Amino acid sequence: MCGIVGCIGRGDGTVDVLMDGLRSLEYRGYDSAGIAVGPSMGVLRKSGELDALSAVVDANRPTGTYGIGHTRWSTHGPPTDRNAHPHTDESGRVAVVHNGIIENYATLKAELEETGVTFTSDTDTEVVPHLIARALDAGDDPESAFHNTVDRLEGSYAIAAIIEGSETIYAARQGSPLVVGVGEDCTYLASDVPAFVDHTRDVVFLEDGQRVIATPTGYTILDTDRQPVEMAVQTVSYTAEETGKSGYDHYMLKEIHEQPTALRQCFSGRADALDGTITLEEVDEIPQPNAVQFVACGTSYHAALYGAAILREMGIPAEAYLASEYALSPPPLSLGTLVVGITQSGETADTLAALRDAKSRGVSTLALTNTVNSTAARECDHAVYIRAGPEIGVAATKTFSSQLVGCNLLAEELVDGPRDLRPLIESLRDLPDDVQSILDSSRAEELVEEYADSDAYFFIGRGTNVAVALEGALKCKEISYEHAEGFPAGELKHGPLALVTPETPVFAVVTGDDERAQKTLGNIKEVQARGAPVIAVTDGESDAAEIADETLMIPETSERAAPVLANVQLQLFSYHLADALGRPIDKPRNLAKSVTVE
Amino acid sequence: MLPAGTRPILEHVLNALIDAGVDDIHLVVGYQANRVRSHFGSTYREVPITYHTQTNQLGSGHALLQAQDGPDESFLLVNGDQIIDHRIVEAVSNAHTDTATLAVVEGPEAVDYGAVSLDGDEITELVEQPASGEFRLFNAGVYAFTQRIFETLETLSVERGELPLSDAIQQLIDDEVHTVGGVRTDHFWMDATHAWDLLSLSRELLSRGWVDAPAIDTDIYVEDTANVHPDATLVGPVVVDSDAVIEAGAVVGPYAAIGASATVGAGSALRDVVVDTDTTIGPNTTAVEVVAGQGCEIGAGLTAGGGPADVALDERVYSDVDLGGVVADRVEIGGGATLEPGALIGPGATVGDGVVVRGRIDAGSEVVR
Repeated sequence: MCGIVGCIGRGDGTVDVLMDGLRSLEYRGYDSAGIAVGPSMGVLRKSGELDALSAVVDANRPTGTYGIGHTRWSTHGPPTDRNAHPHTDESGRVAVVHNGIIENYATLKAELEETGVTFTSDTDTEVVPHLIARALDAGDDPESAFHNTVDRLEGSYAIAAIIEGSETIYAARQGSPLVVGVGEDCTYLASDVPAFVDHTRDVVFLEDGQRVIATPTGYTILDTDRQPVEMAVQTVSYTAEETGKSGYDHYMLKEIHEQPTALRQCFSGRADALDGTITLEEVDEIPQPNAVQFVACGTSYHAALYGAAILREMGIPAEAYLASEYALSPPPLSLGTLVVGITQSGETADTLAALRDAKSRGVSTLALTNTVNSTAARECDHAVYIRAGPEIGVAATKTFSSQLVGCNLLAEELVDGPRDLRPLIESLRDLPDDVQSILDSSRAEELVEEYADSDAYFFIGRGTNVAVALEGALKCKEISYEHAEGFPAGELKHGPLALVTPETPVFAVVTGDDERAQKTLGNIKEVQARGAPVIAVTDGESDAAEIADETLMIPETSERAAPVLANVQLQLFSYHLADALGRPIDKPRNLAKSVTVE
Repeated sequence: MLPAGTRPILEHVLNALIDAGVDDIHLVVGYQANRVRSHFGSTYREVPITYHTQTNQLGSGHALLQAQDGPDESFLLVNGDQIIDHRIVEAVSNAHTDTATLAVVEGPEAVDYGAVSLDGDEITELVEQPASGEFRLFNAGVYAFTQRIFETLETLSVERGELPLSDAIQQLIDDEVHTVGGVRTDHFWMDATHAWDLLSLSRELLSRGWVDAPAIDTDIYVEDTANVHPDATLVGPVVVDSDAVIEAGAVVGPYAAIGASATVGAGSALRDVVVDTDTTIGPNTTAVEVVAGQGCEIGAGLTAGGGPADVALDERVYSDVDLGGVVADRVEIGGGATLEPGALIGPGATVGDGVVVRGRIDAGSEVVR
């Protein structure tokens, strides 16, 4: 999981464009970074955050009229200077940046080493410059050398290369995102649009197998047979404006506070409150599926658990699967099953692999995503957008809330039969204001003062609140680095209760006052008996607030909307806990925003 | 972030600045800072916004000092709670030559504002809320300054919890070296001191068509995503923002601004109202001259018949205010309640079924009968 950029036609401004581009892609990975510029073939690279590379660039002042850059999140080899991209061949004639995994790199590396090539890094990427150099030595012109090399690669990759003596950037996409930015007299390449959105909003979204040859006079897109193809230039609407922190200390806090707006956008125009109907404009009539399988990873998997739970309540057999397990151990599928991939970025490699597997077995697929034109959106039969706006913080917040609303809209769209949706619509319309009231009055920060030095944090809930408990724990561990676990409340006594002590606060998500709530109250007493302090996240309908040691209140709402609200309280707790502990909240160690490797 | 029409006042302010050609905006935020940040983000209409936080609210001069690291050279300064025609901003910007320039307007309101004396293009005197009625000219609250204003502010100290900007301007007026310019203007400006001013502000905006939603008929502005029942009646001027719902038989307008995701119940009659985002008004409500904040839940059959009323606020009585009532953010009102003219209900208060509200109800309180 990395980010790549490239730019040609910008003359002396090239280095600045590359560095700015890398900065806006930093969310994709940040344990090392580097750039290469031509015609000098100068390469600068550095482990650590981008500032480390900036210092080297400022000291060396490289010049060039075209170049490529890379920000890395390690998959092969530790984050060191020598593993940082760009990688070069032995003579320095070729520089390459790469995002993805080259699956046959061991074979290629062995083959190259047999011919006497010495490798200087632990990366899979390094085979690429050596292969290009060998093709050049064999008499290939630079473009043929690039094509002949790419033809030999297996796996998923987005690659960009520059080759000495040719004022050209060569790039290829297979399984990892790569977009072309079309400027006036210049061409940009990047893993994601924000890298060049300051310069142009005209974008070509490449498809797998395609290659780009960019020169100062323009670009050509070729297919795998090296034949030119015409690709539509699309204008993207969002701007770099939405990627600033607007005065908040962290993107995560900004995005938590953006949730009322994000939820409003997600819901806008999709429900008719007068006749109680919900319509998703972007999907044609989808026949009611016999069963639904959700595939997703991380936070999106928790949204999938929620989505599956509400579909089951509506009488549709539905399950959530971890995407990384799904493709390798696929569950049985019958025709008439719909497979729904939930992925914020639409580029999550595990989720894409699961969706492709489902598609290959002949069932229809649907992407529930935040990113228009993403790979998931293009490859699935249907795409539903959650419209949360760009999310930069590695820890997903507003996109999770919008995914939950998206699950509701999708479920109502999928399931036939007359029913009165007005109460649901009313509660979803109220969500932005209900979230705002939590943001205005949450006690989460006070609770952090009391519980900041606990041994561990546990989160429990039942029904759709299981998803909230798991997500609360994930948020807590990923940004605070504290030990946190979420459980279905009834599972506590089957093992985890052994971990519960007076030093392990338990967050109990209790909404409504049904049997699930009543049984969760029993679980609260169970952990209190072991001396653990209990923080109830509750709407006050049950006795949870009276029994618990502390409460985080949410407004009363429908059963479907309550998990969104409960989750906001837990987001705030995790944020303030991480802040109190001085963690790098927007860039937690070892994590990347969208994981485009399997 | 109070609404004028269906948009926060601050949004109108930024529109005026950008329409006047401003390309760099600094916002000093304190109260509801996060709401402001989340609403505008880091740019508005492609103009970058830098936020400066004022932790303690110690007056307008103190607020300006928070932005000392902001603009490098001359800059414009406006208030966040005042709607102004962009031509006032242009006039001040064009006239600005030395130290400080401010917009001057004429009217009987001078006694409530910073009254000024003007000699040609130069301000010779600035008197805050003058006791006598001799002044007709006053400061419209639109300024241009050089960096000098920061130096001047730094020489002053906070007294009685306030560091007013007018003290610094007064010092510049008294200074021999510097002059303070004044530009006469008669373009539209209006501020909202009290919640009921939002009604006249919205009236003005609606009359001028200063609303975002597309016009579907003369003086009738409805967003595409709004949901108006075919049996409901909109009487212009009226604006209905995105995802708002107007149920069957409701009559809305004239002079009604219905915010995003707000609901007007079946058979309700609303005239001269500002209903902010996410507020639900139950069926068969009669509301005249009512301001309702965000996220209120108003039960069926409310009656608020409109002013005039004498309103007591902050140890002062305002006579003959045309006001049916002010319902602040997140108030809940039960069915069949009545607002006597001039009723003020504080944020988060709960009012029970059938209650007759007279005078003022404090924030967060619960009234059962």
